[in-house]
Amino acid sequence: MKYRVRHTTRYAYRRPVDLASHMLHLLPRPLPWQEVISDALAIEPAPGRRVDASDAFGNRTTWLFLDQPHLAFEVTSEAVVAVRCPDPPEDAATPPWEAIAASARQGGAEGAAAAEFTFPSRMAPASPTATAYAATSFPAGRPVLAGLRDLNQRIFREFTFRAGVTTLATPVSEVMHRREGVCQDFTHVMLSALRGLGLPARYTSGYIRTRPPPGRERRRGADQSHAWVGAWMGPAHGWVQLDPTNGVVVRDEHVVLAWGRDYGDISPLRGVILGGGAHSLQVSVDLDPL
Amino acid sequence: MNDGAAAVEPRDEMVDGSGGLRPHWRPLLGPLTGLGREALADRQRQLDAILAEEGKGSVLPGAEPLARRCDPIPFPIGAAEFAALEAGLVQRARVLSALLDNVYGQQRLLADGVLPPSIVYPNPAFLRPCSVAGPAGPGRRLHIYAAELIRGPDGGWRVLADRTADAAGTAYALQNRRALARVMPELFRLQPVRRLRPFFELWEDRLQRLAPSDAGTPGVALLTPGPADKLWFEHVLLARELACHLVEPADLTVRGGGLFLKTLRGLQPVHVLLRRQDGRTLDPLELEPGTLQGTPGLLDAMRAGRVQVVNDPGVGFAEAPALAAFLPAIARHLLGETLILPSVETLWMGDDAARRRVLPELARWRVRPALDGTMTPMVFARLSAANQARLRARITHRPEAFAVTALLPPSVAPCLGTQGFTPRPVVLRLFLLFDGRDWQAMPGGLARCLSDEEALAGRAPLHTLAKDVWVAAEEEAPRTGVAHLPVVPLLIRRPSGDLPSRVADDFFWLGRYLERLEGGARLLRLALSRLSGSDRAARDRVELESLLACLDRAELLERDAAHGLGADAAAATLLGVAAERGKLAGLLDDLSRLAERLRDRLTEEVYAQLSHGLQGLAALPVGGAAARPRNLEPLARATTNVLSFTAAMAGLAAENMVRGGGRLFLDLGRRIERGWAGAGALAQVLDQPGAAAQPARLEPGLRLALELCDSVITYRTRYVGVLQPAAVLDLVLADGGNPRSLAFQLVAARELLAALPEGQDPMLGMAAAELLAETQRLVADTEAALDQYAAAVLLPEPLRQIRSGIADLSDRIARQYFAVLPVAQSLGVEGEARRLRGMA
Repeated sequence: MKYRVRHTTRYAYRRPVDLASHMLHLLPRPLPWQEVISDALAIEPAPGRRVDASDAFGNRTTWLFLDQPHLAFEVTSEAVVAVRCPDPPEDAATPPWEAIAASARQGGAEGAAAAEFTFPSRMAPASPTATAYAATSFPAGRPVLAGLRDLNQRIFREFTFRAGVTTLATPVSEVMHRREGVCQDFTHVMLSALRGLGLPARYTSGYIRTRPPPGRERRRGADQSHAWVGAWMGPAHGWVQLDPTNGVVVRDEHVVLAWGRDYGDISPLRGVILGGGAHSLQVSVDLDPL
Repeated sequence: MNDGAAAVEPRDEMVDGSGGLRPHWRPLLGPLTGLGREALADRQRQLDAILAEEGKGSVLPGAEPLARRCDPIPFPIGAAEFAALEAGLVQRARVLSALLDNVYGQQRLLADGVLPPSIVYPNPAFLRPCSVAGPAGPGRRLHIYAAELIRGPDGGWRVLADRTADAAGTAYALQNRRALARVMPELFRLQPVRRLRPFFELWEDRLQRLAPSDAGTPGVALLTPGPADKLWFEHVLLARELACHLVEPADLTVRGGGLFLKTLRGLQPVHVLLRRQDGRTLDPLELEPGTLQGTPGLLDAMRAGRVQVVNDPGVGFAEAPALAAFLPAIARHLLGETLILPSVETLWMGDDAARRRVLPELARWRVRPALDGTMTPMVFARLSAANQARLRARITHRPEAFAVTALLPPSVAPCLGTQGFTPRPVVLRLFLLFDGRDWQAMPGGLARCLSDEEALAGRAPLHTLAKDVWVAAEEEAPRTGVAHLPVVPLLIRRPSGDLPSRVADDFFWLGRYLERLEGGARLLRLALSRLSGSDRAARDRVELESLLACLDRAELLERDAAHGLGADAAAATLLGVAAERGKLAGLLDDLSRLAERLRDRLTEEVYAQLSHGLQGLAALPVGGAAARPRNLEPLARATTNVLSFTAAMAGLAAENMVRGGGRLFLDLGRRIERGWAGAGALAQVLDQPGAAAQPARLEPGLRLALELCDSVITYRTRYVGVLQPAAVLDLVLADGGNPRSLAFQLVAARELLAALPEGQDPMLGMAAAELLAETQRLVADTEAALDQYAAAVLLPEPLRQIRSGIADLSDRIARQYFAVLPVAQSLGVEGEARRLRGMA
C-alpha cells in the first residue's frame, strides 16, 4: 500500500517565545518493508538552525533551534510511503516464549540487539499488575507469537478506547486500574506487561489508516498519531508489530515513524521554550491511500 | 566480629609486623615527635582554623557546616610504590575509557557476551542520547578520573571505587597541601615531596587545547550547580586554579549550535566546559525533561564539535559497582591486557556461579545495588536477623540488581587524636588526567581517615578528616613540564563587559542590600534615641511617629507590628524589626546568599570581612518583641555593630576592589538604593500632619531630614542654629558634595552608568540626569518662594515621584544588563521532575 501522510503541529503562545529548541521524530523511518518515496518538513517561522541525523535507535531525527521571538510555531511534515509488511510466521513455528526471554537476558550475538527493550523505562516501568495480567497469555512453553497475539487481543477487548481520560503523565498502573485510555496508554501497558516477563518489546510511533463510517466522507485532518508495539520473536523471526488498540497484527495499514523504549524517546515533537506563557496545541493528521 | 574475612588484622602503614618503622616514614617521624604533643595539638588547631575559614559553606542560611579537616600527619608513599600505583591506574583509566567508548558505540562487549545486558541498560547513568554519533577520539569521553583505593592486610592496593562522573577532590588536595606547608613547615625540610601545582598547570593547558582549533582565544568554563551544592567551595577553588570562568547553568545559552556565556557585553563563546553537575541535567531537550535548569541544545553543540564537555555526560555509567566484577574480562577483551591493579573482590549476583557461592556465606560480604555507586553498602553481618532475611529474599528475587564486595579491612595510618597518634583506617583517592596522549596521575591526593564503622561499610565521605598524600620525589631530573601553547601577547583590557550578567545582577543587589541594611540601622538608631531616657518630650513622640512611618515605608516593619506610640508598644515594634525571624534577619540571609554566590569574584579579604561580619551580626542576641522586660540595650548595640560593619564594607570596597566590573554594579546598587530610600524617607518626614495650616509643624521634619542624612553637624557649621527650609533642603537634596544627599546619589549613578558598556538602552544615564535636574529644581523653587515653609510643605508628592523614578531606573538597569530570562517550559513530553538515582 502507498500512502500520503500530512501531519501538522501548531503551538500558539500567549506571550512571545524568545528562544525555542525542538527535537522532532516526524520523518518516516526507512525499513525493509517501508519505502520512503518522498518527504519534507515545512517549518514556520524558519529556524535559525536545523540538524537532521539519526538518534540512538536509528530513527530519523530533526533538531530545530529558533532564536527570534515568535508567537506561534508550526511544523508540517509531508511524506509518501509504500508499505508491504511481510506476513508473520505461523504461531507454532516461533520458539517458546521462555526461550526468547532467556536469549534476551543472556545478550551475546543473538540477543544483544533486542535486550535493551526488556528493561523498565520511564513511561513503561515495571508493573506487577501488568505482568500478572500478561502471565495468563503466556502459559509455560507457549510459542511466543501465540502468546503475543493473545495478549494483544485481550488488551483490545478488555480496555476501552476513550480519549481525554488520560494524559502523558498517567502511569501504567493507573491505566491498568481504569482499563481505559488511548493508544499510547495501551502500548505502554503492553510494554510493561511483556518486559515483566523478560520479553523485548519496543514502542513504535506512526500512523494508521482509518475508514470513515459507511456512506460518509473522510473528514480532513481527523486522523491521528498512532502508537503500537514491536515485539521480538527471537533471532530467526525478528520483530512482529502488534496494535493492541485495534487488536491487529500490523500488515499494510500502518506507517512507521520511529521506535524507542517508550514515548519519551520518540515524542513526535519535543521542545524547551523560554517564555511563551500559556500555550495551545493543534494537531491535524491525514493519511490518504494513493 | 564473627566473620572470617574481617578477623584479619589490618596492615599498619607506619610500622611493620615486627614493630619497626617503615623506611618512608622515617623522615617524617623525627620532626613530628620533635614537636611534642602540645605543639602538635596547637598545629592541629591552626589547620582546623585555616580550613574552617576556607571551607565556609556555613555562611549560607540553614547550611550545615561541612567538617572538612586536614590531619597534621601526612600520608607518605615511596617513589617506587607510587610509580606502580600510577601504572595500574593509568591502565585502569584506559580500560574505563575503552569501556565507555564501547557501550556508547557499537557495543561489541554485549554482542561478544563480555557484558550481560542487565549490567548496561538499567544503569541510571547510561544516557542513550550520548550514543548519537559526534566527534570521536581518545580522551573525549573521559578526561579526569579518580580512584578510591585501600591497602589490604597483604600489603597490596585494591580499588574500592572508580569515580568518573565527577572525580571531585583535586582542589581539596591542593588546599590541604598549602595549609600543611603553612602550618607544618618543618616536615617539608627533610623530605623532598613532589609538587601538586604542575598537575593543575597540565590540566589548565589541556583544557585550552580541547578547544576547536579555529576558536581563537579558547573560552573555558567550569560548570557548577551553584552555592547550594555540597562541593561549591571545591568548584570555586578549582576554577581559580584552572584560571577559568565559574559558571552556573543560568549563565549559559546555546545559539546557532554554539555554547555561550551571557555577559554584559553580550554572548561570549565557551569552547570547553568542565562540568561538575549531574550529566543528566545538562540538556533538558534530550536528557531528563524535568530538569529545566540545563542548557537546551548543549548536546547538539557537542555533536557539532563547537564545544567539548568534559567529562562527557554519559560517563557516570562506569561508576556502577558491579562493573568491577567484569573489568578483568573487559581489559582482556578491549586492550588484550591483564588488569594490573585489581578491584576489591566484587561479584555480580546475576551470575549463577557467584550467587551459588555467595548466598550461603553472605556474612562475609557487603551488599550493594549493582548499578548505583552512590548507595551506602549494607554489611550483611551487621543487619538484624529480620533485615538479613529480607535482604536475602530481595537478592534471590532479583539477583541481577545486586553486587557484593569483600569485607577487606583497609590499612591504618596514625592520625593525631586527643591521646596522641591513633591508628585509623584510610582510603586513598588518587586523580588522573588525560593529557592528549596518555594518562598522568596527580603526585598526591587525599587520604581520608575513616571511623571503624565507615571502614566496615566501605564508605568514605569527602568532607571528613583527610591526610595530605606525599609522594617522595625521585632523585633524577624532574619530569619535563608542559609544552606550552605558543605565547600570544595579551591585549591590554580594562573591561567591565566580560562580567557574566548574573554576577553583575548579584553585585547590584549586594550593593542595594548593604545599603538597605545600613539605612534600616540608621532609622532604628534614631528611633531608639527617642525612646531612651525617662522624660519623653512631646517632640520625641512626633519624631518617633515619623521614624516608625519611615521604617514602615522601608518595609522593615512586620505586617502585624503594634503601631501604638506608647513607649512599650514602640519598643516592641523596634525589637520586632531585629527579632530572630524579623526583617533585618531576612536581609542578612539575603546578603549571605549573595556573598556566597559572589565568592569566586571577591578577593579573599573582602569575602572574609563580608562573611565574618554577617555571621557576627546574625549571632547577636537581641530578644524578640515578646521579651520582657523590654531591654533595648542589646538592640542598640546590634545597631551600632551593623553600622560599623556597613562602614567597613564600604571602605573595603573603595580601597580593595578594582573599579569596573563587579565594583561598578556594587556602587550602582548602593547609589540607587540610597537615592530611592532617601527620597522616600524625606517625603515621609516632610509630610507632617497639620503642616499645611501651620507651617511651623514642619520643623521636626526638617530636623529629622538632617539627622537621616547624617548632616546635623555640617548644617550647624554652615548655618549656626537657624533652621530654614531652603538651607536644609539644599544640604540633603541638592548639595553634590554631601555623600548622603539625593543629588550625590544621582550624580554618581549617572557617572557609573556612563562607565558601563553601552546596550540597547542608551537613555539610562539621561534618566538619572533628569531625576537630578528635578531634584535641583525642587530646592531652587523652595529657595525662591516667598514663604519657604509653604513651599516645602508641598514637597512630599514630587519626592515620591522621584522615588518611583529611581525604582523605574533600577528596573531598566535590570532589563538592560541582567538578562532577566523568561521561564523555561517543556513541550511534548511528560516533564515531571523526578529524583535521579546514582551519579552521572
